[in-house]
Amino acid sequence: MKTFEEKWTAWVDDQLTGNELEEFEASLPDRAAAEAEKRAAKKLGVLLQRELTAKSLLNADFFSHQLRGRIEQDDRHDSPSRGGAGLSVWWPIRRLVWAGAASLAMFIAIAVFVMRDKEPSEPSQYLTQIMGAKLDPANGPDATITIFESKEDRVTVLWTEGLKSLPSEYAAK
Amino acid sequence: MQTEATPAQADVSELDLVRRCQDGDSEAFDELVVRYRTRVFGMIYNMVHSEQDAWDLAQDSFVKAWKSIKRFRGQSSFYTWIYRIVMNVTIDWLRKKRVKAGEAEFDDSIQLKDVDPASKTLPRPDALPSENLEQREIRTEIDNAIAQLSPEHRAVILMKEIEGMQYHEIAETLGCSIGTVMSRLFYARKKLQNLLRDCYENV
Repeated sequence: MKTFEEKWTAWVDDQLTGNELEEFEASLPDRAAAEAEKRAAKKLGVLLQRELTAKSLLNADFFSHQLRGRIEQDDRHDSPSRGGAGLSVWWPIRRLVWAGAASLAMFIAIAVFVMRDKEPSEPSQYLTQIMGAKLDPANGPDATITIFESKEDRVTVLWTEGLKSLPSEYAAK
Repeated sequence: MQTEATPAQADVSELDLVRRCQDGDSEAFDELVVRYRTRVFGMIYNMVHSEQDAWDLAQDSFVKAWKSIKRFRGQSSFYTWIYRIVMNVTIDWLRKKRVKAGEAEFDDSIQLKDVDPASKTLPRPDALPSENLEQREIRTEIDNAIAQLSPEHRAVILMKEIEGMQYHEIAETLGCSIGTVMSRLFYARKKLQNLLRDCYENV
């Protein structure tokens, strides 16, 4: 179903035929005025054709020359990016893989270091020396040494009594 | 639609030129440009009323055409296809320009109730054009009148009246229905008839 505007346009452009034309013309309230309007629309068309077709492209060859330059420039610009298109797709993936591998390696290294560090340490040389000193009757025949050790807290406390002195070579360094 | 080539040349080799373009032959594209550059420029000029802008937009349109020519399947004529690109580029530019300038949207607000289809279109008695009215003045009046139409209405009236395109070709170019084209044509004509009454009455 055509709207009034569509029918009017078709009528002005002489595109209405047959029953459609008869029905439309019969529906016009003032046929003479409508015909005048149609003539006016046609005159408008003639005016537009006469006035608007005169504009020509000056320097047409330069237009083509400039266009050719732009296309060549665009093609040159696009070429590397076309080659790089695949790269640009793969680059984030490769980067992610590398970043993941590096993170994993760092995690393992830190984990190993921490685990190793967590292992209970050997009794210190200093402790051995102290204990050795206790056995030396010359240095302290009545000396007693009590050891408090907490492996979890990695703490060892030596409680000495009756030790007169420590040989200078036993001093903690 | 006229081109710079003869009709015979156009009929024989246009599709061939397109095929060569699709194979990357830029010389074939040069030939197509030569055929359509004047028409394209003129069409855009009538839409934007600036030679420099029309030049730039015509260049943009052809560059786009070159980039997308591989997608041309030959289902429509080449000139409909290139005009579609031209119209997209130009209408888009006009809309952006309007937004940038902070101006109101195009007012095509002629309502059906405002249009009496049986009204007489007579020149205003107090504004009869001078018989010595310069061509340039008429052109300016026309440009000013067209500038008051929305980009879509401009496109429709220019393609119909200047290019002599059929409704279905215009619809194909603008990507709308034939009914929409006819409706836009109705309102565009009414508005121009109101604005250019003094000019066309002396045609």
